[in-house]
Amino acid sequence: MTHLEEELHKLRGEMIEMANLVTSQIEKSLTALVGEDVDLAREVIFNEKRVNAFELSVDKDCENILALLNPFASDMRFVFATLKINTNFERIGDNAEGIAKYLLQSGKRFDEELLADCRFHEMADTVKDMLRAVTKAYEDNDAKLARTVFKQDMILDEINKASTDNIVLYINKRPENIYQALYLLTVIRKLERVGDHITNIAEEIIFHLEAKVLKHIKKIAKEDE
Amino acid sequence: MSNSQLNRLKDLAFKIFAIFCTSVGLIVLVVLLYVVISQGLSRIDWDFITNLPSRSAERSGIYTALFGMIWVLVLTILISFPVGVCAGIYLQEYGKKGFLTNFIEINISNLAGVPSIIYGILGLELFGRLLHLGNSILAGSLTLSLLILPLIIVSTREAVKAVPKSLREASYGLGATKWQTIWNVVLPSSFGGIMTGLILAISRAIGETAPLIVVGALVYVPFVPSSPMDEFTVLPSQIFNWVTRPQAGFVTNAAAAIIILLTFTFMMNGIAVIIRNRFNKKTKF
Amino acid sequence: MFKLEARNVNLYYGEKHALKNISIGIDPNTVTAFIGPSGCGKSTFLRCFNRMNDLIDNVKITGDILIDGKNVYKSKIDVDEHRKKIGMVFQKPNPFPKSIYENVIYGLRINGINNKQVLDETVERSLKQAALWEEVKDDLKKSALSLSGGQQQRLCIARAMAVEPSVILMDEPASALDPISTSKIEDLIYELKSKYTIVIVTHNMQQAARISDKTAFFYLGELIEYNQTATMFTNPDKEQTQNYITGRFG
Repeated sequence: MTHLEEELHKLRGEMIEMANLVTSQIEKSLTALVGEDVDLAREVIFNEKRVNAFELSVDKDCENILALLNPFASDMRFVFATLKINTNFERIGDNAEGIAKYLLQSGKRFDEELLADCRFHEMADTVKDMLRAVTKAYEDNDAKLARTVFKQDMILDEINKASTDNIVLYINKRPENIYQALYLLTVIRKLERVGDHITNIAEEIIFHLEAKVLKHIKKIAKEDE
Repeated sequence: MSNSQLNRLKDLAFKIFAIFCTSVGLIVLVVLLYVVISQGLSRIDWDFITNLPSRSAERSGIYTALFGMIWVLVLTILISFPVGVCAGIYLQEYGKKGFLTNFIEINISNLAGVPSIIYGILGLELFGRLLHLGNSILAGSLTLSLLILPLIIVSTREAVKAVPKSLREASYGLGATKWQTIWNVVLPSSFGGIMTGLILAISRAIGETAPLIVVGALVYVPFVPSSPMDEFTVLPSQIFNWVTRPQAGFVTNAAAAIIILLTFTFMMNGIAVIIRNRFNKKTKF
Repeated sequence: MFKLEARNVNLYYGEKHALKNISIGIDPNTVTAFIGPSGCGKSTFLRCFNRMNDLIDNVKITGDILIDGKNVYKSKIDVDEHRKKIGMVFQKPNPFPKSIYENVIYGLRINGINNKQVLDETVERSLKQAALWEEVKDDLKKSALSLSGGQQQRLCIARAMAVEPSVILMDEPASALDPISTSKIEDLIYELKSKYTIVIVTHNMQQAARISDKTAFFYLGELIEYNQTATMFTNPDKEQTQNYITGRFG
């Protein structure tokens, strides 16, 4: 293997490791939230340091590869894409930490009725699916798999749009849980943002593989692309 | 007349002049060959080559002269080649750039231009008398060696100089000593040039009559030499001798001998060209 | 301990002060690149390590040059023995006008090694290391001069490695070659790193960036900066280095 190939291979491995870490952070934070698992939440908050360390390391490696090894064509797109995917994963990690913090703040178990009203489980499962899909798409260079997250993101948007009304309805039903409801609203917003980050990642993967720029196109159109 | 027309005219004029000059040389060669061959070709037969010289033209042959020449040549090569090549290598590879080396260089170049008769006189005194070698083949060979030594030295130097510095550096870089570099890299690469120089020097030596006459190549030697200390004669001397005789038969003999001598010279030059081409192909830098 | 070290080295060509007080330490099993504009002294400095400057008249060297801790100029070492431990590859490929086989084993022959089996094994090993074996294995008796430029240079590398030096010095080894041959040689250097300590002089900065671990920047006979290559090309310490690397001068 040439020097360049070796470095690209290392970078890819590093990115996959980070992706897996962030995926598990989201999974753990959501599990902790639903099951009121304070220890798990603390674990997520602790691991945020590792996510940040990964971000710095991937940044530095991309910088070195660009400065020293002159990648061209798909190699160059790969490095640029990884650089941006790096940022997006780091933000997702931040969101996971934020969600975990909310559990610590709320202090008690979220009401099952509340979760059902907002279709929270559906949202959580969708986000976890999307994360796994996009990580696998990066690992396997699978543009088709990457594209599947666009449709899934529409579900997240739907739930998010409806969440305001749903939360208001719930607060009217159970005014004693108003804090919890407001916390959940924020968590839903965070998950929607995680969805956006994931679609960014998918766009970058497609840019690397096909040199197609899908940014700023309407989502329906993206699915047909 | 415009400038370009004038230039074209000058071009043409020079071309015609150059052809004329070349033809002069060619015409002279053709005339010489014609005269010599027409007079002497018929005389050449096996008897001519194997007969000893005699007072009668019909029975004279070049046997002794031919063998004498071969003896002298071989001995001259044996003496001058090692000395000349080693001197050339020393001056080019080991000599430090300084006053002494420059002095030697100039003198060697000068020696190449010294008239050959002077070498003859030097040889007579030094080899013939001082070293008591008399009129022997050895004295003749030593004299001829002195004559062609500068040529060999100069051509060796040029051949060695032509070996690129990069090859030497490669050899030194691998830890070779100076001598190993010379023996393994420089000499094989310059061998073609050295050989060419040697053969051209020998060609000159064949033709030099004057120094040998002074040293004592006799003109009537009715026996074949059997040792370096024997007396001898060579083909040019034989030719000279026959040309001075009044009988017509001897003129024919001389013509025939000239043909043999010319053949010999052309052969030597031919070998030089072949060797040079072979070695130049192998060592294309 | 450093594999190669220089302390306060000054070199004079007659009156000209060509190298000014150079000190540097090179670690084993690394690739170090010497960069700098033409005439800055990098090749001259490289040649100090195997005393090739001895071949030039009128050269004076002060200071210390050490290899494996031993002083190369001061202690009583045999220059030829010393050169055997250091391989050198030159700018213009310079194979001897002999066969490929004879070229590779030249270093062994001058050491008196003539055992055919040893020679055959050495030829195969060296040519494989130089990534040339597959291309020439069918006709090792062919003249080395019939190979292409890139192949000739790889042959010179094989020749240098045949005597198993621990250090290889390369003086602009790819500058006379086409880009494909150049990249083959660069890949080769990257692979050789694990077994040898390599110092390469190059006027091509991108090449230095691609293959070296550390880089030394020379200018007008002085060592301006010596640093990790990654740092040198992303954030050099000295402004002069930055100007050279960004192409502002030289």
